[in-house]
Amino acid sequence: MTEIDPSVPIRAQRGDEQAFLEIVEFYYPRCLRFARNMMGNEQDAEEAVQDSFVRVHDSFPRFREEARFDPWLFRILANRCRTLLARAKRHRELIEYGEVPLAIASAASPIELEEEFGTDWAEEVRIGLETLPAEQREAFLLRHVEDLSYEDIAVITGAGLSALRMRVKRACDTLRIRLTEVERRNGT
Amino acid sequence: MELERDETIERVAQTLAVLPPRDAQAVSRVMTAVHAHQAQRPSRLTLVMEWMRQPSFSVASAGALAAAALVLGFFSRGAFGNAGSDQSARSTLEGQPTGEFPIPAGVVLPASNSHEVRALPVSLVFDARNAKSVVVVGDFNGWDDSKTPMVRYGKDGPWTATVLAKPGRHVYAFLVDGTTLVADPRAPRTKDLDYGGDASVLMVTPP
Amino acid sequence: MNFIRSCATVAALVVAVASTASAQQDARLTLIRDDATREVVRQQLGGALSRGVPVEPMMAKALEGVAKRASTKSIRAAMARLEENWHRAAKALAPNPTDDELGAGADALQQNVPESALRSLRKLAPGRSIALEIGVLTQLVARNVEPGQASKMVLELMARKATGTQLTALSSAVQEDVEAGLAPAMALDLRGRGIMSLLPPPSAVSTLNPRSTPRP
Repeated sequence: MTEIDPSVPIRAQRGDEQAFLEIVEFYYPRCLRFARNMMGNEQDAEEAVQDSFVRVHDSFPRFREEARFDPWLFRILANRCRTLLARAKRHRELIEYGEVPLAIASAASPIELEEEFGTDWAEEVRIGLETLPAEQREAFLLRHVEDLSYEDIAVITGAGLSALRMRVKRACDTLRIRLTEVERRNGT
Repeated sequence: MELERDETIERVAQTLAVLPPRDAQAVSRVMTAVHAHQAQRPSRLTLVMEWMRQPSFSVASAGALAAAALVLGFFSRGAFGNAGSDQSARSTLEGQPTGEFPIPAGVVLPASNSHEVRALPVSLVFDARNAKSVVVVGDFNGWDDSKTPMVRYGKDGPWTATVLAKPGRHVYAFLVDGTTLVADPRAPRTKDLDYGGDASVLMVTPP
Repeated sequence: MNFIRSCATVAALVVAVASTASAQQDARLTLIRDDATREVVRQQLGGALSRGVPVEPMMAKALEGVAKRASTKSIRAAMARLEENWHRAAKALAPNPTDDELGAGADALQQNVPESALRSLRKLAPGRSIALEIGVLTQLVARNVEPGQASKMVLELMARKATGTQLTALSSAVQEDVEAGLAPAMALDLRGRGIMSLLPPPSAVSTLNPRSTPRP
């Protein structure tokens, strides 16, 4: 996964607003992808990303120049997603009403995915992901979608390496059981 | 490749890894939120106001406060050479005559190279499961109800349409089943000063 | 010389009569089912066109009224107001406003944006379309920001070369703040300063090649 030029966060840390803007422009799509996958809800995902950047800006004085920026940013984002997920759980009935389906809200091309993997595939993946416990979903996304190393994920989540490996394995097992069936139905 | 990442997991990862497109408006919203948050941090003034709300507030302490404020103000205005760090955010129009709207002397924005401002495609989405037909009417299509019918996304999905609108502010509404005009629940609203009721507002930004 | 002038006058009259006639035969008039309303709209269109206001915005205003089931009287009044605001906007945005700018200007005046604000916007950007900036200003005023404060903020941001995206972001952020219960004046100040802190102060040096009469 491409990372931003390490000089940019250092400039931002020293108060260069242009550098901070570069960070937001560079990471916004990736952060939104993670938040969408975590929350399954466009509005909450956007809120989580926006809040995270506000926190990143606030916390820059505590960013160590020798540290890598990606895990630091994702730690803030993952934290924010966890908090908002807890809130969303309390208000589930509000969230389920009148939401735009992600397939439409997203400018990515669900139709192309459907053509490749069969009609219900993207929806089944989303449901499968939603059924995972939040910490398994988080570990799975960081490892297999965001392509981060277990060492980075440990920094982000604060969990130990073996616990993380177990979370990812369980998530894969659950998804595999659910989706192999869909693949068989679709003849993929 | 890890053992757990077999063909199925590979497909799942591929499905979830689609990146949202770059979105200048979202970036701008983030930057505005970041700076609004900075501005919301308690300033000296807010702290003083909080203190004034305390029940022990008295005329004598108000006098002391006024004196302190004068000194603070003197420092914060840079009288001793320490200009505020938010200098760039301070209005450059302050202190100029009011009434007319002053513009900074000598500033003229550059002319545009193109004479023609192009209309841009904008997607509108509307949830109305039980509607039989929905049409978009607005100033961008001359309020002509034959121009922009919406189509359903999927069998039971929301209604969608793409309209072409030039950069600027536009007012519109949805005409449901040819009889009921409703404002877009997703859009900001404005009072219609001509015909009454609310209309939806679409702000189109140049690319 | 006199002959040329007469020819020109005749040509102008022919164009005016022809366009008035075309306004009166506009196919969209058939979208108005009520006979009395259709007749009133036809008259208003013809009159406005002869006074230099194009058919499109006038017809749109009429059809908007029809869609909203407004009375004939309301439609007539709305068209007359639009025509008046169109002329006021043309004066404020002189010398060469586009129809988009005039439409935006007429909307702005309808929402009580002062003419002097439109004049200042034009003075600041004589060589390009300011329809978007006028729209942002209009929306701020529609959200109950005091017109003077809104005008000053938009001018200030323009002078610092704020982008269209930043200006529309300002408009939506203020909108959201006001809906969340913040006073409009405070919302604008807060959000405006946020954007301003990203922008350099306005340069006193005129930028390259400003044109005073840019559009053909």
